[in-house]
Amino acid sequence: MAITYDMVKSLSAELYESCLKKIPEDTKDALQHAVDLETNEGARKILAMMRKSAEAAESGNRHVCSDAGVPVYFVKIGTAARLDGAIKRAISDGFDHLVETIQPPILKHVTNPLTNERGYKGKDMPIVSYDLIDGADYVEIVCQPKALGSGRWAALEIFSFPTLETIEKYVMECVLKAGSQHCPPVVVGVGIGGTFDLCAKNAKLATLRPFGRKNPEPILAAMEQRLLAAVNKTGFGPMGTGGDTTALAVHVEYSSGHGFTPVAVCFNCWINRRAGARLYNDGHIERFE
Amino acid sequence: MSDIRSLTLPIDEAAVRALTAGDFVTLTGDIVLTAGLPTHQRILECMREQKPPPIDIAGGTLFHLGSYSQDTPNGFEVLYINPTTSTRFNAVMPEIIRHYGLRMVGGKGGLDHASVTAMRDTGCVYLSFLGGGSPLLSDAIKEVKAVAWQDLVSHYRLVKLHVEQLGPLVVGIDAKGNSTFETLSAQASERLPEILQELDEARAKAEG
Repeated sequence: MAITYDMVKSLSAELYESCLKKIPEDTKDALQHAVDLETNEGARKILAMMRKSAEAAESGNRHVCSDAGVPVYFVKIGTAARLDGAIKRAISDGFDHLVETIQPPILKHVTNPLTNERGYKGKDMPIVSYDLIDGADYVEIVCQPKALGSGRWAALEIFSFPTLETIEKYVMECVLKAGSQHCPPVVVGVGIGGTFDLCAKNAKLATLRPFGRKNPEPILAAMEQRLLAAVNKTGFGPMGTGGDTTALAVHVEYSSGHGFTPVAVCFNCWINRRAGARLYNDGHIERFE
Repeated sequence: MSDIRSLTLPIDEAAVRALTAGDFVTLTGDIVLTAGLPTHQRILECMREQKPPPIDIAGGTLFHLGSYSQDTPNGFEVLYINPTTSTRFNAVMPEIIRHYGLRMVGGKGGLDHASVTAMRDTGCVYLSFLGGGSPLLSDAIKEVKAVAWQDLVSHYRLVKLHVEQLGPLVVGIDAKGNSTFETLSAQASERLPEILQELDEARAKAEG
């Protein structure tokens, strides 16, 4: 057997739809945990409404948010995976299929930056990045539709041999600038090091990490913990009503680089859109969030 | 405030001025919405050319809500609504609020200080909608009253809906000049030195 065009196409559409209609289980739990800890009454009310909205979307096959975002996929191809057909086109066709068939229909968010015209298609859409996994007999696809509300607050700055203090101060500056615009409580993704492009990607990938998975780098594990406390001390709260819950998690990834060290910060809104799957040679599919 | 106040539209100036930032409310009545900057520009053109917009908003509402509308044999239907970021419209809102004497604006993320001033002068509040609250908010739609500027993409159209018990929504900016958004941003800035100091202490401890 092999991993076929049809399998990748339908999975690409399914993952996108899942992101729009179902928030991850760990995020539901984190919101409930936040309700339990939140000291601000209005904030507790908003957090409870979020849970209610998520449940209504999932059970009623509806969109949690009307901004369906733009299609972003991260693909990893196992070197032992057997591919049959135009796998790259399958992802693009999968998104087209979603646009044609999803109910309720989605709005046109793909924007030509030169004219501001909007549609479902555009240059370099979907945005897909590829990687390899040595020895794996599967293809992994992760979908993360990106919308304006949280997307527009991402930032990157390049420092020269920064200290951890400088890095953390920059993260907090980004957090303050975003305020409550990005539909908190958010997941804060931070990339440190690498090059301009890799750093931004690391920040993005950091937002995809499931909750509760400890960073294997002790320096970053400690940084994540203290930054989460710091972000929640700002007091913006859920949707900016004030409160203790501005972020559900801070995740940091790093890469080696030169002494010019980029630091990238990005945000996932409370819906925390992410859905992934591994497609194996034998045809079975393993889903994850 | 823990109570949720049920408000009926149209609402008069006194009732609007009685609202305070932080209040939770629901709305019943007719609302007007759009999520498009081109739509706002068309409203500004209407103002300059002294002609009425295709949907009357004078003394009413203009919410930054995106909607999916589609033409059917029985007229337009709106499948869902959801707020969009209002600060995108900072530059145009003060003029629109003043000119039409809007009583309520809203969306998510608030508006800047020029709008806060315009709202105080006019008697208008900003209502914060739950981002990602589409299922809850859409359940309040009872009737599509009008869909204008149909040449625009769906979420840019100017739409008038009859809603029942829309919300709960939070008064983010009241007509007394209080903005929760400004207050919280100022508070976060004030706290920043202490937050950074705590980060320093925690880092020192971690580095042992």
